[in-house]
Amino acid sequence: MSLITTLKTASVVIIGAGISGAAIAYELAKRGQKDIILIEKQYPSSGATGRCGAGVRMQWGTEMNCRLTKYCIERFENLQNELGDQYDLEFKQSGYLMCAATDKEFNQFKTNVALQNSLGIPSRIIDKYEAKQIIPHINTDHMIGGTFCPKDGHLNPFTTTLAYCAAAEKLGVEIQKYTSVVSIDKKRGKIVGVQTDKEYISTPIVVNAAGGYVSEIARMAGVELPLYSQRRQILVTEPVVPIQGPMFMGFVHNIYCQQTPHGSFIMGRGDDDEPKDLDISSGWNFMERQAKNVVKLLPALKDLNIIRQWSGLYNYSPDKQPIYDQIPNVEGMYLAAGYSGHGFMLGPVTGVAMTEMILGLDMTQDVSMLKFDRFEKGNLVIEPSVV
Amino acid sequence: MLKNTGVPTDDLIKSAYPNEARRKKGPFAVIECFQCIPCNPCQTACPRNAIFPMQDINDLPKTDFNKCNGCGICAFACPGQAIFMIDETYSKMDTLVSIPYEFVPLPNIGDIVIGLNREGKEVCSATVHSIKAPNLCDRTPLITLIVPKEWAMHVRFFKQRREDWSCECETKPASKSKNKSKYVCRCEEISEEDIKRLINQGHTTLNEIKIASRAGMGACQGRTCRQLIMSIIAKETGINPQDMPMVTFRPPTKPIKMSILAEED
Repeated sequence: MSLITTLKTASVVIIGAGISGAAIAYELAKRGQKDIILIEKQYPSSGATGRCGAGVRMQWGTEMNCRLTKYCIERFENLQNELGDQYDLEFKQSGYLMCAATDKEFNQFKTNVALQNSLGIPSRIIDKYEAKQIIPHINTDHMIGGTFCPKDGHLNPFTTTLAYCAAAEKLGVEIQKYTSVVSIDKKRGKIVGVQTDKEYISTPIVVNAAGGYVSEIARMAGVELPLYSQRRQILVTEPVVPIQGPMFMGFVHNIYCQQTPHGSFIMGRGDDDEPKDLDISSGWNFMERQAKNVVKLLPALKDLNIIRQWSGLYNYSPDKQPIYDQIPNVEGMYLAAGYSGHGFMLGPVTGVAMTEMILGLDMTQDVSMLKFDRFEKGNLVIEPSVV
Repeated sequence: MLKNTGVPTDDLIKSAYPNEARRKKGPFAVIECFQCIPCNPCQTACPRNAIFPMQDINDLPKTDFNKCNGCGICAFACPGQAIFMIDETYSKMDTLVSIPYEFVPLPNIGDIVIGLNREGKEVCSATVHSIKAPNLCDRTPLITLIVPKEWAMHVRFFKQRREDWSCECETKPASKSKNKSKYVCRCEEISEEDIKRLINQGHTTLNEIKIASRAGMGACQGRTCRQLIMSIIAKETGINPQDMPMVTFRPPTKPIKMSILAEED
């Protein structure tokens, strides 16, 4: 056996080529950072990003989420131009219709809309009649009202990630596909390198953007994260002519359902009995639960053929909001994780915030409330509008 | 039996034949397609609309024997080579059986060949009556054999005798074809050129090609295109298909209507 191992150096190693890692790599390179390596266990968007519903919305119940997602949607509006036309991002901006099923939910939505409007988000409260105009096949028997924001939308999560990766590569980022991180090397509390299954890379900075697998990566640096992953399931139908512009979403009804520009319907739900581990197999009862719910709420979809179900990992933090921070006591170890289901739509702000944090630049968006130690200090961000 | 061996039962085969009266009137197509798959080129190819319109792309084709004249165009179009032309009016002793044949060299008219049944077993001798290989056959010529009547229900392929092989391979049908935009993924209409372009861009696995192009994401979920794409990857990159990472197989095994699941208790 040869004792010679290749010695490679990088200024930053990013782990995980989902939307987060790809956006961080791109934003760092865009600001002139050299010698960036993006490591991906499989291929770009193979984890949670490529498995998500890929809706993007600004209808939230906290100032922070409204502000961050508004920034993201404004970036998405120009992203195709910015990243180039090698991949079609399939950005569609035909809104989210949030369906209120109870008075409590409707009251919460009304409070949310006031907050959203104060931040410049063009959402509005709608009644059943208007809901029926926006999505004609809604069964309004199960809703008392709702809200609508025409600027919310959808992108293709695969091509969006691939476009970020391609743009990053053009700026000099090295992307290593089918490469696994085996261990993370620290000396006196500082990151010094990453061992992959292919080579050793010397680096002072590691960004953990491993999605559902962040805890496994953090443990390699001796850090326990207060995060856990849980399976979420989703299905897609055959493509049909466009009949539904906006995403249809309800928290009490536990549903999101949208038609992609390609014509297929993508829909999912959250089930509390899902396993809290790294299982991403397909459950036996999801399809039936989902079909029952969607046929009740959007009866016209009953004739659609389901062609595939799949699953991916939500990575939850204690307050279901992300962590953007440097890990305390491990210099050079950064964490962008815990999105609790919203990592794709937060991709642009993840890229910018982590880049500015790493390079010590002024922050475009204030993300100081998303620090690692907020759970110990009890400064949780409580967002009422999550599926 | 069909599911275990790939060989249909006699009852299934009889169900693909027209009634006695029609059989006495001249040539007709026998579509030996017994498993629901998302496939309909036969129905769209027929110039006489003799295959009933399908409600669903997974439906089995059904022939309107009043309209069918046994021209063979559906057999050219069938990717599964499951369609045969039968003419029981040829002579008292013999029936004409036309078989799609994608091997070279083609036999010559008048050759004596060995008739094979659906299991590939040799059952009788047959004589090559004619060869249909027009441009629209898309490299699937129809070879018409003179088959003894008692074997006409059984002979569905044939073997040439080695002594009949000529050194100059008759490859005309293949070289005639221009190969313009051959679809590899029929559901999402992704062509061979598209796949090659993606491989050149560095998408060298099934999954990467799938996410960049949607190849394999359609109604058939890769059943039709998966192996074709693997063979293109193998040709372009030299990677052995055995060493290629596989895609994940997910439910449902065939498309299923929402309403069927929603009604279940």
